[in-house]
Amino acid sequence: MPDVVVILLTTIFVNNFVMVQFLGLCPFMGASQRIDAALGMGAATTFVLTLACGISYLLDTWLLVPFQLEYLRIIAFIVVIASLVQFSQIVMRATQPLLHEVLGIFVPLITTNCAVLGVALLNSAAGNSFAHSIVYGFGAAVGFSGLLVVFAAVNERLADDRLPAPFRGSAIKMITAGILSLGFMGFTGISP
Amino acid sequence: MIEWLPGVLLMTGLAGLAALLLVVARDRFQPETDEIVQRINQVLPQTQCAQCGYPGCLPYAEAVAAGEAINLCPPGGDETVTVLAELLGREQEPLQDKAAPVVAVIREDDCIGCTLCLPACPVDAIIGSAQEMHTVIEADCTGCELCLEPCPVDCIDLVPVPVAAAAPAFPDFEMNCINCGFCETACPRDLQPQQLFHERERMAALELLDLSACIECYKCDRVCPSELPLTRTFKAAKTRRQQQLNAEATSQRYQARFEAHQQRLASATSKVRKRPSSRDKSALLAKLGGDV
Repeated sequence: MPDVVVILLTTIFVNNFVMVQFLGLCPFMGASQRIDAALGMGAATTFVLTLACGISYLLDTWLLVPFQLEYLRIIAFIVVIASLVQFSQIVMRATQPLLHEVLGIFVPLITTNCAVLGVALLNSAAGNSFAHSIVYGFGAAVGFSGLLVVFAAVNERLADDRLPAPFRGSAIKMITAGILSLGFMGFTGISP
Repeated sequence: MIEWLPGVLLMTGLAGLAALLLVVARDRFQPETDEIVQRINQVLPQTQCAQCGYPGCLPYAEAVAAGEAINLCPPGGDETVTVLAELLGREQEPLQDKAAPVVAVIREDDCIGCTLCLPACPVDAIIGSAQEMHTVIEADCTGCELCLEPCPVDCIDLVPVPVAAAAPAFPDFEMNCINCGFCETACPRDLQPQQLFHERERMAALELLDLSACIECYKCDRVCPSELPLTRTFKAAKTRRQQQLNAEATSQRYQARFEAHQQRLASATSKVRKRPSSRDKSALLAKLGGDV
């Protein structure tokens, strides 16, 4: 149990995938204009990442490592994660229409997001057990979603502000992201 | 043994398994019938016109879910066929006998006030009472022709209504977007013109990218090195969105009126009291014995 808490804390704060590892920057910059979009994106990412970490662990330990095919990790993970996400979307559409309504547009978007693949690869490199892999993916996704919502909130506020011309648009976003990243760097000290 | 063989076998196996899984899932997990009927029904224009050969939009939605052709709805037009084809994963078919939109108009001099057309209207769009002239509320008439048949004096005409403007075409351009991002810096509203341009066909994406916040200032056009007609594209997209919203509002109004009509019919049969007839009265008296 304590190691679960440690993994969660590490992935959410200390090793936050966007701010410290710089993964998944495209949705971070792209889908962060409005809080409701950020929430949908975050929920969909949580779903996909948790699933991806579980399945890629199974693939890695049962197929890739025994046959010494670790060099196929990237392409094998992509194939399996993409098809599994498509599959779960089909099942979700049939059985959970309400959930599909909320997550429907976002799920295909993040199927092959760099964060999803990156977390799966880092996870297999870290040599976590199955349960820990799932917690790892879930924590990474919670960190990502939380940050996305925070960033969207900042952006919503900035949208109505009068900024000096050189700061407008992407510039202020980069600066905001940089300051957020600085904040997250501060967690490095409590690394267990 | 050749050293690349296991890798190739594994990847082929994985891809094959994944494909199999998806194909099986698509066939097994069709959305539940009730839900799919609801979704089809939402797409239909709710004119309840029965031109498809079914008594209303919901029965037709049920029939489509059970495998009926998707191109039998003239009021929905080609747009409905497109949406249905996408929703159900079927082939798009051209619409059968497409008719221009019409509304019913009563020739007031000829109307004899028989009230026969009132119950025939599925959306309660005809008003009038016995021996009085009837008239059609034009805004609520769906042009379904169901009132023509009961009229004994054939005083109802179908009059074509001005066709709603077709969806505006997106302007042509010579060179495609090169994703330089200049437009994003130029946009005073901090929108993402290049994303908006790429997603111009997809309403849901435009909504997320906040198209409605565009103030049509043409600043993105001026900085675009490909000289794309960005603002004119966004204007067209906005018009399309508005047309879509209008069509949805109309169909929702039709549906609400149709449901009210159905409810009224149902409550009419259940609420009307059954009074004792004179025969019942004499039978009661006979039972009591003696004259009262």
